[in-house]
Amino acid sequence: MPQNEYIEESIRRHGRRMDHAERKRKREARQVHKDAEFAQKVHGLKAKLYNKKRHSEKIQMKKTLKMHDEKNAKQKTDDAVPEGAVPAYLLDREGQQRAKVLSNMLKQKRKEKAGKWNVPLPKVRGIAEDEMFKVVKTGKSKSKAWKRMVTKPTFVGDGFTRKPPKYERFIRPMALRYKKANVTHPELKATFQLPIIGVKKNPQSPMYTQLGVLTKGTIIEVNVAELGLVTTGGKVLWGKYAQITNNPENDGCINALLLV
Amino acid sequence: MSSIYNFKKIAPVPEAGDFLDIVLSKTQRKTPTVVHPGYKITRIRQFYMRKVKFTQETFDEKLHQILTEFPVLDNVHPFYADLMNVLYDKDHYKLALGQLNTAKHLIDSVGKDYVRLLKFGDSLYRCKQLKRAALGRMATVMKRQKDSLSYLEQVRQHLARLPSIDPNTRTLIVCGYPNVGKSSFMNKVTRADVDVQPYAFTTKSLFVGHMDYKYLRWQVIDTPGILDHPLEERNTIEMQSITALAHLRASVLFFIDLSEQCGYTIQDQISLFHSIKPLFANKPTLLVMSKTDVCTIDNVRPEERQMVEDAVTDGVSLCQLSSYHETGITETRDLACDRLLQQRVEMKLKGNKISGVLNRINVAQPGRRDTVERPAHIPEAVLRRRQQQQNGAAGDGDDDDETMGRMLERDLEVEGGGAGVYNVDLKKRYMLASDEWKYDVIPEIIDGKNVADFIDPDIEEKLAELEREEEKLAAEGLYDSPEESMDEEEERIRDTARRIRQRKQIIAQTSHINDVNRAKLTTKAKAAVSTTEDFSEHLQRLGLNPSLADETAQRAGRKRGRSESRDPAVKMARSSSLAARAVSVIRDRSVMGLKDERSRVATEKSKSMSMRRMNLMARAGEADRAIQSKKPKHLFTGKRSIGSNDRR
Repeated sequence: MPQNEYIEESIRRHGRRMDHAERKRKREARQVHKDAEFAQKVHGLKAKLYNKKRHSEKIQMKKTLKMHDEKNAKQKTDDAVPEGAVPAYLLDREGQQRAKVLSNMLKQKRKEKAGKWNVPLPKVRGIAEDEMFKVVKTGKSKSKAWKRMVTKPTFVGDGFTRKPPKYERFIRPMALRYKKANVTHPELKATFQLPIIGVKKNPQSPMYTQLGVLTKGTIIEVNVAELGLVTTGGKVLWGKYAQITNNPENDGCINALLLV
Repeated sequence: MSSIYNFKKIAPVPEAGDFLDIVLSKTQRKTPTVVHPGYKITRIRQFYMRKVKFTQETFDEKLHQILTEFPVLDNVHPFYADLMNVLYDKDHYKLALGQLNTAKHLIDSVGKDYVRLLKFGDSLYRCKQLKRAALGRMATVMKRQKDSLSYLEQVRQHLARLPSIDPNTRTLIVCGYPNVGKSSFMNKVTRADVDVQPYAFTTKSLFVGHMDYKYLRWQVIDTPGILDHPLEERNTIEMQSITALAHLRASVLFFIDLSEQCGYTIQDQISLFHSIKPLFANKPTLLVMSKTDVCTIDNVRPEERQMVEDAVTDGVSLCQLSSYHETGITETRDLACDRLLQQRVEMKLKGNKISGVLNRINVAQPGRRDTVERPAHIPEAVLRRRQQQQNGAAGDGDDDDETMGRMLERDLEVEGGGAGVYNVDLKKRYMLASDEWKYDVIPEIIDGKNVADFIDPDIEEKLAELEREEEKLAAEGLYDSPEESMDEEEERIRDTARRIRQRKQIIAQTSHINDVNRAKLTTKAKAAVSTTEDFSEHLQRLGLNPSLADETAQRAGRKRGRSESRDPAVKMARSSSLAARAVSVIRDRSVMGLKDERSRVATEKSKSMSMRRMNLMARAGEADRAIQSKKPKHLFTGKRSIGSNDRR
């Protein structure tokens, strides 16, 4: 025991008070009531945080309980007939199976059903031009309004050079240019940050495809070289398509699902 | 003399979850919370940018505080650096701090990026989502630091409880095999109160205690026991001892247990001494044989005795002690302290700092002035007593002791039962006419009179003496006042002088009244105040006859009479003084309409009676200033859309 641990030292020398165990037990028993009281009294941000915490605790508890239930629940099965000679008093017994297997099967089925579509996000919200572009007024007296600024994230290629700014119709701001996307491989269940090669198609409009605008549902081509995927023929894959699944303009990052 | 290294001031490191709650609730508290979609977009952007920026700064500040408060291993004393390495693992420690530093940079860059993105936010929803994403990413970065934070919190708690050892002060280090009596010795010389148990490794960390020797403060460090094996195999507990031995410039007390009660043979203990000997280089070392109550050097086998004696080379001294019998403890301590002190002084003399001090020190020794002998003066009584002591004679005094020469109060106290029991005899040395009276009881009050008032024995005599003196003085005529002898001339002069003085006084007062700086009465008021008496007096003073003026003044106050009935002389005077009146006569309105003096007095009285209650209660009367309405409605109603409210 180090020199300055006064409390432990004192307990070692003089012991605890007589009713320590009882007090402790009572305090623990009282704690739930105190928590409930506090939960009713608290308000504002603290209440929000506290209730969230309690909620998650409760869910965790229920899940644990359910898991135990699942383990113990027994169900009838037809095929599992006991082998060999069975005593008379066991003849009407039927085979049993654990519920867990069944729930696993359900999950499997759901997964297969989910794989029916060939693109994860078949529908997208239409985006009007005035939402996509901001009008930039030009001219000495700011009377001309033919310039547009793209207010969504964009992808511009590696060797991109701007047109002379005076004549540039569409401005794609530097702050909104992206080079990398977080791509999830649906089978590996793993996410990688991969460089974008190009924009294959923006479902909103071919013009957006040309401009390289990245919105939800856009198909992009990503560099999968570091994943080490190969074709059935044995060729190394390096470019693959992926669909953007989030709203990059709201999140500040690009999440995509690899199309396999 | 306090330790320079104080690790107690490091602020607690919250857990990752608490860290987030602290930062986010601070953001909630310290930034504005209300924003509407109807606001101008720049204002909305600014609102959310401020939130992101503030959160990032708070994270930054908190992490920076942790990073600066934890000691940098390269900057602390090597002893502490090594101790921390042993206890917390240097690599782990550096890694944890490094990860926090990285997290700090990551959070900074997240904050910067999202502020930049927010500049392009075109709706409240989008701005809000971006803010949410920004805070979420910062929180994720922080959550990953969970382990580092909890590790640092543990380190902090442990650091704060490390004994405060000053690596540079005078130190004794107690070391040796486990269970050889190190802690017992420590408890004997200091007040540290270390736990002593009859099994090995009772002491698991460094303990520090303090003691005084030669009016200096010393620290004693009790170390955990060391076993004899290579350095790599030593565990954390042993390594603490090794660290202390390696880095502290101290006097080393190596304990060996000759009785072998500790469970290790003398041979083992001596071989440990030899194996860690390099750590004792340039340090005063003592080989202390403990538990001499059980076994001394004389009782052991000759070959073992030979081994112990071989270990004592130059720079190593041998000591014996028994903590059980408390023998040899002080000697051991004194020897260790003296040797260390001597070495420190030698070191200081060798250093270059000493020359600055030495050339300022001068011991002056006066030379002989002449041949006259000037010995120290020793009182004769002292000489006599010395003589008596030398002769061994018990002396003629009845309070003489055979050792000290005489009985002291201290001895009396011991005889009388020690401190707290013995009462000091204060009456013993009273100087009275007869020694029998010393212990007489004197009552405070007799016959209702305070004895202290009658304590003077020759009060009568003194009083008589005083009276006689008084009589004598009276007879000599000291108290006779000189006869009044003033002639006519002098009296007149005095009278005049008195009048002059009076006049001067009046002039001074008048000029004081007429001082320009004071509030003056108006001419009208003055006229009302001046009376006919004043005027006639003034005339008299000037040596004129005031009778005519009096008459005129009296008439002015009187009811107008018939002109025929007036005295012709008066009539004459009046007609001659018919010149225009300079000032119209003011009448006192308070007495107007009142019949006579009696009614005036009655009115006055009833007035004062009616006001009395009001004045008593200090109420505001109707004459006091009052603001009826402090916020007049017409000045405060109505919209104020643009411009000021000057128009109202």
